[in-house]
Amino acid sequence: MSDTAVTGEPTATRTGAPGPVAARGRRQSPLLRLRGELEGRTRLWLGVAGVATLLVGWELAARALAGDSILLPTIGQTLSALQELARSGELWGDLGASLRRVGIGYAVSLALGIVIGVAMGSLASAEASLEPVFGMVRYIPASALTPLFLLWLGIDESPKLALIVVGTVFYNILMVADVARSVPTPLINASYTLGAGRLTVLRRVILPHSWPGIIDVARINLAAAWLMLVVAELLAADQGLAFRIVRAQRFRQVDRMFALLLVFGLIGVASDLALRAIKSWSSPWARA
Amino acid sequence: MGPGLSAPGPAVPKLRCVGVTKQFPGRRRQPGTVALDGIDLEVADNELVCIVGASGCGKSTLLNIVGGLEDATAGTVEVDGAPVIGPGPDRGMVFQAYSLYPWKTVAENIRFGLECAGVPRALRTERVQELLGIVGLTEFADTLPRDLSGGMRQRVAIARALAPEPDMLLLDEPFGALDAQTKQVLQDFLLTVWQRTGATILMVTHDVDEAVYLSSRVYVFSSRPGRVAEEIEVPFGAQRGPLVRRDPRFLDLRDEIQDHLRTNVR
Repeated sequence: MSDTAVTGEPTATRTGAPGPVAARGRRQSPLLRLRGELEGRTRLWLGVAGVATLLVGWELAARALAGDSILLPTIGQTLSALQELARSGELWGDLGASLRRVGIGYAVSLALGIVIGVAMGSLASAEASLEPVFGMVRYIPASALTPLFLLWLGIDESPKLALIVVGTVFYNILMVADVARSVPTPLINASYTLGAGRLTVLRRVILPHSWPGIIDVARINLAAAWLMLVVAELLAADQGLAFRIVRAQRFRQVDRMFALLLVFGLIGVASDLALRAIKSWSSPWARA
Repeated sequence: MGPGLSAPGPAVPKLRCVGVTKQFPGRRRQPGTVALDGIDLEVADNELVCIVGASGCGKSTLLNIVGGLEDATAGTVEVDGAPVIGPGPDRGMVFQAYSLYPWKTVAENIRFGLECAGVPRALRTERVQELLGIVGLTEFADTLPRDLSGGMRQRVAIARALAPEPDMLLLDEPFGALDAQTKQVLQDFLLTVWQRTGATILMVTHDVDEAVYLSSRVYVFSSRPGRVAEEIEVPFGAQRGPLVRRDPRFLDLRDEIQDHLRTNVR
């Protein structure tokens, strides 16, 4: 006591009783820190918890609603419906038809998107002439073109492919153009001063620099391709995942409908993972 | 007085800029910005010249014009008496940042210019090895740029620019993003490269110490529009090194240039 009185000032200004010094700042939980980073294991557990919550919620809701007719199937009912679809062979035929449509349609859309998008992102003249056109056309909902395509192209495969292409190509073009535009100007300029011609710069600088970004664009817009596939199959088809859902609805086979929705989800997850893997394999330099 | 200006005969300067003017177009009938106004400038063969000026004085624009990456609104740029109409491997450039190919290793970055020039494979490998040695990055030949420090990246950029054996090196604030210590190391490195290769170097910087330390002449630019406010001879000759920084003449020159910059900045 007398000591503090002699040295005086620091303790004199401090309010409150003597004792442990108050800590400065506020401790933040790693779970709730903005832009915080989580340990790998915590991340995994949180992911598992999220999926488990969904499944448990689904199962509980299904049991609560259970009655004479099925409105919401349980997980077990859904899985056995899926098994039945697989056993009868319908699933494989529908899956093949839908995958083929999306595969061909989206490949065409991507090819167009890369060629036109890279041109727009690299050439001011291409951008100036094409931007207003695509800027307007992309606001026309592609699904609104369905009747027109049916009129022009009949009801076989071609209107479905056309719908998938038209429904995704403008997003692909404009997003690829953004990616190509983000190639740093010094990189392009340095290439010229190293003796590269314009074609070399396009092929050996702009394209490789844009590649990981292009794969991301492909991954994001793939969802739109499936959306257009459903629109196409709902209107006119005799095979396909969405066609099968409409069919199941007609017979009030809700368990089948859920099984097919599950298939859509699984395809999405698989293609997402595959494209991510392709990106990190083909552009290891762009890994985070 | 530039070297050999009055002498007749073989005294064509390596680089000659006459009345170089750059005006950027204005918007909606507004007059455009004049970035450069009648720049006259010469660099002799094997000379190292710096341009200093505050930001916005158009010094980078001038370098881009000499590099052929931008067109002048008026005036001429000649290298060895031939007009510059576009970029080419005879004028290597190094920028402040973001100019290495991030997907290529150090060796592949350096090799790019040789591939463009169609140099045979065996010769390419040999030349890349030689350049890796010059810039002291032999062990990092297979490293990606993202795993290098800022100073190492700029050494790669310089090696890559040297690969096609350019007549001139144009450096646009190459050390501007580096910390003070790394910067000094790279300045000495640049002097070594200059002496070993005999390249003609034109460098833009806003660092007055750097300009006086490196160059035989300094062009001081004024801002908006960019003009040559002063041309200053640096008297140290080829004798450079840490001692120069303590030479009283170094300090005087530095103060003189800094005064010029202050009076010319508005």
